[in-house]
Order: sequence, then C-alpha cells, then structure tokens
Amino acid sequence: MQDGAIISWKAAGISLGLLLTLATYLVSPLGVSTQFVVSEAAVAHKVAPAFAEKNTYLAKYGEKENWGVGYGWMLVFGMFVGGGVCAQLLRSRQPEADKGSMPAMWAAKFGESRAKRYAAAFAGGALLLFGARLAGGCTSGHMISGISQLAISSFIFGVCTFGAGIVMAKILYRNKAGA
Amino acid sequence: MTLLIGFLIGCAFGAILFLGGATSYRRIMGTLLLKDMWIIKLMATAIGVGSLGVYLLDFANLANMSIKPAYVGGVALGGIIFGIGWAVSGYCPGTCVVGASEGKKDAMFVILGALLGTFVFSLAYPAIEASILAPMDLGKITLESVTGISGLYLAIPFSAMLLFLAFFVLKDRYE
Repeated sequence: MQDGAIISWKAAGISLGLLLTLATYLVSPLGVSTQFVVSEAAVAHKVAPAFAEKNTYLAKYGEKENWGVGYGWMLVFGMFVGGGVCAQLLRSRQPEADKGSMPAMWAAKFGESRAKRYAAAFAGGALLLFGARLAGGCTSGHMISGISQLAISSFIFGVCTFGAGIVMAKILYRNKAGA
Repeated sequence: MTLLIGFLIGCAFGAILFLGGATSYRRIMGTLLLKDMWIIKLMATAIGVGSLGVYLLDFANLANMSIKPAYVGGVALGGIIFGIGWAVSGYCPGTCVVGASEGKKDAMFVILGALLGTFVFSLAYPAIEASILAPMDLGKITLESVTGISGLYLAIPFSAMLLFLAFFVLKDRYE
C-alpha cells in the first residue's frame, strides 16, 4: 500500500467533476494542450511573422485578440499559479515520496543520473504534445472533458492512450515491475 | 471577465491536481503498470460526476459543449504517441505544468520537450493534414448523436457505472 495524497482521490475526483461542470456552464470545458500551440503561435507571430503566417497550423492560432491569449491560456496560467501556491503552503503535508525532481521509482530502475531522467522527461514531453496535437487534445481536453461529453473521438483517444501507455510502461519496467 | 474566470478555474484545477497527487510519478507509473488505482479512481470519479453535470446542463440548455471531431486515424495515432510519451515522462500536459509549479525539474524538462513537440507538429501539419487528419473524419459525433438517445439518459447509467467502478471495484494490487 502507498500513502495517500493531501486530499483523497474521492475529494479530488468529485471536485474535478464539479469544476468541469462549472467551466462548461460558464465558458467551455477544460483543456490544456492547445495552449502550447497558442503560446508558440504568439511568439512566432512576434518573432517571425512571415513564417507564422505561412504555416497553416500556427496561422490558425494567435494574433487575434491579445495574441490569442484567451480563456484557455489563462486557465493553464491559473494551473501554474494555483498548483504553485498550494505547493508552497502545503508542501509539508505532501507525501515524502512525491517530493523532488528524481522519483525513487525511476532511480531504482534507471539509476541516479539526473541527465538521464531529464532526457527521458524531455523526450516524453515532445511525444506527449506531438501526439496530443495530432489527436486534438490531451488528458484534460480529451479524456476528462471529452469523455464526460460522451464524444466518440475521446473514447478512441482514451483507449489508444491507455493501451500504448500500459504497453510502454511494462516495457520500461519489465524485470522488476512496481516496487 | 472571461479571462478572469479562466484564471480562477485554472487555479482550482491546478490545486486539485496537486492536492490529489496527480503530479506523482509513482502514481502515474503505478497506474500504467496496473498496480496503483488512485489516478484511475480519481479520473473515473471526475468523469462520472462531470458527465452527469454536463448533461444535466445540456438538458437545461445551459451547457457550452465542445465536442472534438472524430478523425479516427489521427486521434488513434495521436493517442498511441501520447501514451508512449506519458509512460516515458510520467506526466501529461496538465500535470507537467503543475509539477513545474511545485519546482520539479523533471516536469520543467517535460514542458521544454512539449514545446519542441508542438513546434515539430506545426512543421509537419501541412504534410500530414491531407493524409492523416482528413480521411476517416466522422465529425463531432457523440454517443448521443450516434444512438439517438437523449444524452442525459446515457450519462446517468454511464456515470453510475464509473462511480461504482471507482468506489467498489477497483483495488490496488500491491503484493
């Protein structure tokens, strides 16, 4: 058994479901991965406007209304602020195993090399967003918001994501799975 | 005003992810190794409450729904690539933002990688638009539009099933 978190999965799940309902009532459902494009499009339109206009993907985002910084971007910015403030106030109550930049589970399998962990994080991050943009959403937009709206595309995304994630995790942790 | 609402909802979202342990590497990997059910139970509960909430709003004509189109090839391939990235990094696009706000350096590297992945996708987009994204596009379909049954009557049993799974069926499997 593992120790819990600061709040239980029940409390977190119920409040997340209510938050999604509130967001859907007030503006629109939750989503994160689109904002990585919005951020890049905003920079691209500033730094290399000709390139940004020519690229059929970047041209769809940014420029309009404050470089595209709207509800969705503020939501992700809020996540950083809300998560950061809570972490500052409540860090002492966070389980010891969840602190720090080097997960013990990773170190036990792949060694203490920070460069190795950060390289995997970087490569994984690149795959995450390439995949999310290809699929049109991520865990929040597709899985939480999309499946809650009973969208067929989000069911497909959920099955493929968990399928590939489970296979990849089993490959990474083959000999001594778990801990 | 919409910007402020977005910011406040984001603050709550980030707080829930941090407080609920969603930025925890051992939990994410435990989930994908099918040993730790915490994250699955959290997500099933969120979707159980969310689907009921959203379709109650929809029933009252108060929902601002946002249905993603089902271009089957792109969604499936993207989901597979995403899943691999999820297992390799131990984060997803939302939790890496919150993890970085906690000061976790690995989460910051996920964000840097994510920016690269986004950039590569924007470069690849013109080439894959016609071949991957356009074919097999079934549009913005939902269980409601496919079955012809009112969404609320689908959401009620769906929600009950997910909450039942989360609260009574799923159990951690540590030896």
